[in-house]
Amino acid sequence: MFFNRGGGSIPADDGDGILSRVTSSITESPIVYQGRRAASDAAFVAKKLLKSTGRAAWIAGTTFLILVVPLIIEMDRDAQLSEFEMQQASLLGSGPAPPAGTK
Amino acid sequence: MATLVPPPTTTTVPPANSNSAAAAESEKIDYMKLPCPIPYEEIHREALMSLKPELFEGMRFDFTKGLNQKFSLSHSVFMGPTELPTQSADVVKIPTAHYEFGANFLDPQMMLVGRVMTDGRVNARVKCDLSENLSLKANGQLTGEPHMSHGMANFDYKGKDYRTQFQFGNGALLGASYIQSVTPHFSLGGEVFWAGQHRKSGIGYAARYNTDKMVAAGQVASTGLVALSYVQKISEKVSLASDFMYNYLSRDVTASFGYDYFLRQCRLRGKIDSNGCVSAFLEERLNMGLNFILSAEVDHKKKDYKFGFGLTVGE
Repeated sequence: MFFNRGGGSIPADDGDGILSRVTSSITESPIVYQGRRAASDAAFVAKKLLKSTGRAAWIAGTTFLILVVPLIIEMDRDAQLSEFEMQQASLLGSGPAPPAGTK
Repeated sequence: MATLVPPPTTTTVPPANSNSAAAAESEKIDYMKLPCPIPYEEIHREALMSLKPELFEGMRFDFTKGLNQKFSLSHSVFMGPTELPTQSADVVKIPTAHYEFGANFLDPQMMLVGRVMTDGRVNARVKCDLSENLSLKANGQLTGEPHMSHGMANFDYKGKDYRTQFQFGNGALLGASYIQSVTPHFSLGGEVFWAGQHRKSGIGYAARYNTDKMVAAGQVASTGLVALSYVQKISEKVSLASDFMYNYLSRDVTASFGYDYFLRQCRLRGKIDSNGCVSAFLEERLNMGLNFILSAEVDHKKKDYKFGFGLTVGE
């Protein structure tokens, strides 16, 4: 079908010069057509891929935010607290014992 | 332990041998002295504690005031959207607010708990020890809507290495369960129930294996339910839990995995399940008797996001 249309158009363009004939035969050649199709397919797939990776990243990110971030914060707080207590104990350890008990 | 340490100097071999022999002797199971198993309905207790926190959406405030050692009053306010049950897949929420007043009486032999809500619901729970081994648990709920009120009574008998329970409820609900320790770590149980109103009856079996480090439990019932759970205690602060639920008749499968962290200032529970639902529940101790709660639940599949915060004062 494509070839038919191309073949039909070439004689009509005969008088317009060789340049337009060459360009039209290039633009309407099956290679260009297939190339264009492949490019649009690739763009479509890339768009889909980008969208799905974006969605996956969103899900992974929010999951991380809910499951892991509070855990890190709380573990850090706990570590700080025990470090503080260690320091306190080592500071008060040299002195008399009762203040450490009443603290 | 102190007697075990000195020998390794010279004449280690004979005492160590006799010690290990004695240990092996004590390892040998005395089947007449098995520990009492935990109740049949609580075989998934540890997994449920880690995986099913009371997630909520909105704001809640709970206040408990002890009047004397045994008697206390509680007030709680909740504001936030509540989900309406619908036929369609999408979620419908309406904003609600309610206040709940409660009175508790706690005594080693007797526990009475009552709750009244502003929407007209009345809830009562009784737990009392009738004798050394026999205890009665009852709860009832009255609501303004017809056919929603219900009542139930359980009689629990605790034997030396077994437990039995008889259950009576309205709507001609009858049930019985029995659980027996088979080895010191392993227990097996079964249950039967009959719901006269719905003309349904069923039978179920359960097994549970627990050591200091882990708990595994499994349950099957003729209603089509298969439930397996496993809890591993990594340390005294951390435990990991997973569970698997399968309904043979409706073909529903859910698996979930969660962690449970006990830190000095807080308790944090997180869970992820196979329905694309992620949740976390944080209880932070701000002060003595003052707890701050954060609850988060994100359902990626339904695009349903629930966040809540609350304060608990007293206790």
